[in-house]
Amino acid sequence: MSLMTMIVKMGEGLGKTCAIFFLTLLFSLPLGMIVALLRMSRIKAVSAVTRFFITILRGTPLMLQLLAVTYGPYYLFGATVARNKLIPVVIAFAINYAAYFAEIYRGGIESIPVGQYEAAEVLGYSKVQTFMRIILPQVVKRIMPSVTNEVVTLVKDTSIAFTVSYQEMFTIGKQIANSQTSFMPFVVAGVFYYCFNAIVDYLMGRIEKRLDYYQ
Amino acid sequence: MKKMICVLLALTMIFALCACGKTAAPAEKKTFIMGIDPEYPPFSCDYLGWELKIFGVNWDEKLVQLDSMECDCVWSGMTILDSMKDAGYVISAPYYDNTQVLVVKDGAGFSSSADLAGKVVAVQLGTSGEALLQGDLADLAASFSQVVTCNSFLTCFTELEGGAVDAVFVDMPVAASYVAKNAGLAIIDEDLGAEQYGIAFRAGDAELCAQVDAAVQALVKNGTYAEIANKPEYAEIVNNLIFLSNG
Repeated sequence: MSLMTMIVKMGEGLGKTCAIFFLTLLFSLPLGMIVALLRMSRIKAVSAVTRFFITILRGTPLMLQLLAVTYGPYYLFGATVARNKLIPVVIAFAINYAAYFAEIYRGGIESIPVGQYEAAEVLGYSKVQTFMRIILPQVVKRIMPSVTNEVVTLVKDTSIAFTVSYQEMFTIGKQIANSQTSFMPFVVAGVFYYCFNAIVDYLMGRIEKRLDYYQ
Repeated sequence: MKKMICVLLALTMIFALCACGKTAAPAEKKTFIMGIDPEYPPFSCDYLGWELKIFGVNWDEKLVQLDSMECDCVWSGMTILDSMKDAGYVISAPYYDNTQVLVVKDGAGFSSSADLAGKVVAVQLGTSGEALLQGDLADLAASFSQVVTCNSFLTCFTELEGGAVDAVFVDMPVAASYVAKNAGLAIIDEDLGAEQYGIAFRAGDAELCAQVDAAVQALVKNGTYAEIANKPEYAEIVNNLIFLSNG
């Protein structure tokens, strides 16, 4: 098999890798904010329960959560295993990443001095207005580097989806490596992941720069 | 199990030196690291008096792990492929005539591979079954709507039982042992792809290979081999054991 065929074949799988990546971000970024707000809730019970779920999601391997979401319903209730693996994969990834994003958001929100809330109150801002117009824009600026970190990790984590037989790029790479007894597919996979992350890095850098309007 | 675990023999450096041509001091203790399924009892190990150790490998990386000295041989459910011989690995005498079969849900109405046209079939990554579907059986694979690669045969069977795939393409002994332990599955009575199991050693370990081969033969001669193989749990596979059918 020529290098070109190899790249084309793995490139086809790259679409499935991208599907996990974009859908996970689409769902986990907003979900993370909801979780962060629940986590900071003044109602003790709500914050305690949220905290408990975050410890589970951060304290167990993503691979295990993938297996639980995909095969759990079958083992527990005899439900049919999804033929389209993208659904359970995205659910598992989105929930897992939401837990991480929630903690990043919380760190950002709590880093804003209390004085700003007081000042906003004096100026007649409602609570929602204070959060949306004053706090959130600053939080977004502060958390960008941490978010970039998670997004870069997500690109590499997509390879874990093979655990539940989702045929993404790295899986196809392994198939080729096996049938051709060649190490080349791994090199190609490495280059793919690196390029993907180089683009992510560049875009996140651009966003960070644009948000840097006070400098 | 059998597919996932392979037998790995790791001998001490002392033995490695012996294998390089020096005569072994008779009383020297040898370490023998091997990962093994109960279906393949470590006869040769007992016989040679080596200390046994078990080591599981990542099946699709088995030859890399062999080359990197993590183990000294790959054993158990390992199909002999020409590509291995071409790559210089020393292969033992074949000991099992294997076939690949399709496992389906009982009562799903599939009685031959042709019935599975347009259906989804799962296969384990790195197995000879996967290689067959890409090579000799590519036409059959093309008749399926999709071939799904799983990272273990257990995942393959979970996908089948959970209804995500319609059949699993797997080695006969693996299929037989899984179907025997789990209700609701059936093996399609059609042998696809004949092959043989053997033991792979690194290039240059011909002497070690000969030693193990000789030990196995000795056990075949003294009857231990047949005694183990005739246990009821091996009924499905005993007829395919080459050393027994020959002698």
